[in-house]
Amino acid sequence: MIDSVSAALKIASSGLEAQSTRLRVVSENVANARSTGDTPGADPYRRKTVSFAGELDRITGAELVRIKDVALDRSDFRTEYDPGNPAADADGYVKLPNVSMLVEMADMREANRSYEANLQVIKQARELVNLTIDLMRG
Amino acid sequence: MISALSNSLSSLGIGRTQAPTLTPPTAGAANAAPATGFADAMAEVASDAARSLRSAETVSIGGINGQMTTQAVAEAVMNAERTLQTAVAVRDKAVAAYLELSRMSI
Repeated sequence: MIDSVSAALKIASSGLEAQSTRLRVVSENVANARSTGDTPGADPYRRKTVSFAGELDRITGAELVRIKDVALDRSDFRTEYDPGNPAADADGYVKLPNVSMLVEMADMREANRSYEANLQVIKQARELVNLTIDLMRG
Repeated sequence: MISALSNSLSSLGIGRTQAPTLTPPTAGAANAAPATGFADAMAEVASDAARSLRSAETVSIGGINGQMTTQAVAEAVMNAERTLQTAVAVRDKAVAAYLELSRMSI
């Protein structure tokens, strides 16, 4: 049995891990926004999505968060007319990744905000612990 | 530093077992169990502090080598800091109580 403030710290740090993984996936998507296939008509980079799940920590009894799955976005690719591209098919169209910069930026901002929220929980819990320990010093 | 802390705390724990001798000898046998309980608790606090400091050091070195995430390093170091602060506060309190006893007029 761990005290609740320590459990809050543990939960918040699992949130930090989860949000940083999410930021990693977003950066992969952004970096590969124009990664095409190698051969004519080949599929380009497929956008990755991340999903979270609650996970019960047996020791603390706290509900941590973990990365459930890094899946692939099954939506259609964009096509662009570019006959000179090595990945262009017989008609001259190149398949481009199904990454939308706008969506990725929004996702990044949300990951950033969630990370900050978890950091705030850690700061708060730490302050509470310090205040409680200070009771002994009085 | 870790061994110094655990030594000071465990020696304090042993030192505190002498305190029950101040009680009447008839109550000594009955007080034996709580006395070891207190020493055990002190030893537990000391070993807990030492353990979390050691794990913080391991994780920090892992972080420098790039095997651990920054979050894990921060968590371990904060954990160690918290345990150390608790141990120091408990020790201060115990030492203060001991000094209080030694100043008692007989």
